[in-house]
Amino acid sequence: MCARCFEVSRRSLLIGGGAAAAALTTGIAEARVLPKDMVPLVGPGYKPTDKDEQGIWQLMDRAEEEISGSNLLINDPKLTGYLRDLIGKVGGPAAKDFRIYLAHIPEFNAMMFPTGFAVVFSGLLLRMRNEAQLAGVIAHESGHFLRRHMIRSWRDERHKTDIFAIAAMAAGVGGAAGGVYLGDYVQLAQLGTILSLFSYSRAMEAEADAMGVRLLAENGYQPLEMATVWEQLIGEETASARYRRKRRRRGSLFDTHPSPDSRLADLKLSAAEVTVAGKAYDNGRERYLAEIASIRPMMLDDQVKLNDPGASQYLIETLARDGWNGLLRYYEGEVWRLRNRHGDDARAALSYAAAVAYPDAPADAWRWHGISLMKAGRSAEAKSAFGRYLTMKPDASDAAWVRQVIG
Amino acid sequence: MNHLTRLALACASGVALSACSSLGTGEYGYSSYALVRVRQVNVGDGSLTVTPPRPYNRHRAFLWSDVRDVEDWTLNGPYLDGISFVSGLKGGAYLIRQSKRADQQVPKFRSDMTPPEIVAMLESLYRVKGGAVEFRTLSLQPRPFLGTNGFQFDYEHLDGDELWRKGRAVGAVIDGKLYLILFDAARSHYYGTILPDFESIVASAQLRR
Repeated sequence: MCARCFEVSRRSLLIGGGAAAAALTTGIAEARVLPKDMVPLVGPGYKPTDKDEQGIWQLMDRAEEEISGSNLLINDPKLTGYLRDLIGKVGGPAAKDFRIYLAHIPEFNAMMFPTGFAVVFSGLLLRMRNEAQLAGVIAHESGHFLRRHMIRSWRDERHKTDIFAIAAMAAGVGGAAGGVYLGDYVQLAQLGTILSLFSYSRAMEAEADAMGVRLLAENGYQPLEMATVWEQLIGEETASARYRRKRRRRGSLFDTHPSPDSRLADLKLSAAEVTVAGKAYDNGRERYLAEIASIRPMMLDDQVKLNDPGASQYLIETLARDGWNGLLRYYEGEVWRLRNRHGDDARAALSYAAAVAYPDAPADAWRWHGISLMKAGRSAEAKSAFGRYLTMKPDASDAAWVRQVIG
Repeated sequence: MNHLTRLALACASGVALSACSSLGTGEYGYSSYALVRVRQVNVGDGSLTVTPPRPYNRHRAFLWSDVRDVEDWTLNGPYLDGISFVSGLKGGAYLIRQSKRADQQVPKFRSDMTPPEIVAMLESLYRVKGGAVEFRTLSLQPRPFLGTNGFQFDYEHLDGDELWRKGRAVGAVIDGKLYLILFDAARSHYYGTILPDFESIVASAQLRR
């Protein structure tokens, strides 16, 4: 009857890890862990010597093989090289041993697997405003590895029953079971056991936070940016929930981790502690934007078309704190258009009109500007906007339709 | 449209697809599918008729989950292929039922939507309900449909199960209502094999006044 219950696809594994990766997103109840106490427990070229850890490594090697061949990965060598360089910079003693994969999934997530390979979701790159923020997330994930959280968690008495989860993972990565991504990993019932395996205790999250802040500062990044990432995440969750008239998202990370505010406070205290007065810290914003430039429109597209207006609007406004541009104005219009409430067409029209005033306006902004003008009965202006669209994108997939409209 | 949701739910719960009919009385031979014979049939709310070139499986509507104006067919099961009919969706209505409080929602249809807006609504349907992580518009072009100026939309998408699927939708807005026939199938093999069926169904489509 339930033959598939114990099968876990590599897809699900990604998500399983993702939940784990909720890692990044857990609250702290205990006293703050001090960055100065966070000594790495592994050195370069670490290999397990104990039987149980060797077993986990063996399984994880197979998982990595599957994940590295997944067609959900973004394999642009420039981008993956950038991520590799970044983890090579903030990864502490194991920096050169880490592998990092970029998955095309529009959600905020990053995860570290016990053998030292990390998976970062494209939705996370979208939400980072500068390199220091991304480095902070990566440093946090590295912290899990450097502090050997996976094996410590495994050896914890309450995790013993998770042998089933390991068995299931083995079955899953071996077979080619299909799991469908829902954009909400808690809906994947089959992951229940995996989640418990991958989730770290609050104490471990606190350790990874402290370790991350320390690695960040040691490498010249503004350590406060880690707290800012967390602040942005809380803001987005709250905006999304408020928009749908809920207190918070169902199944959100806040359900199991009740004190995001104390975590934020701890991150700020730790950042202050590692900051050296008078030293200049970098946030690498220009470099970051240049590196992700090729996929930023795609990432915005992925997010906005999920039609989660509260989250998308918050996100766009957060990114725009560093300055509006044509791309962001265009996607602001897309948020209104897809929201599709009374008056939203007028709001969207204003955003498109504002977008095309910027030199970096994407071709699609001209198309939607044209459609808005057409619907408002301003056909001469619409024709000229459509003309501009076709000039910028002569082989547009909808060129035939646009030409018919222009007449 | 519901085959999208069903696809996702079946996988999420890890149960075989047939188990989805748990609403019915499984052991007494109730199935979630009904046979469509090779003759003129009414689809959706009955305002559209088509003639399939061979027998199809029609997904039975569940009152709690289905929109009356939408009907789903499949040849090999919803993982591999599906043809959906939208028979006059009114302005302000949705292609699928969804909770008003869901974070991510499929936009509602409006009577004054242009083809690019309808296409964007379909794209969100695939992203929100079908779990598509990548969606490409291959072409949007004018095409006569039901005796009026309609459109043809070709697209492909990569879903969370790492399978590329490809689709074609032919539609038109008539008197402010959306009429659409949509075909979506695994890109390798199934799309190409079943496309002629879809084309013949589209060619046979008539409004029933």
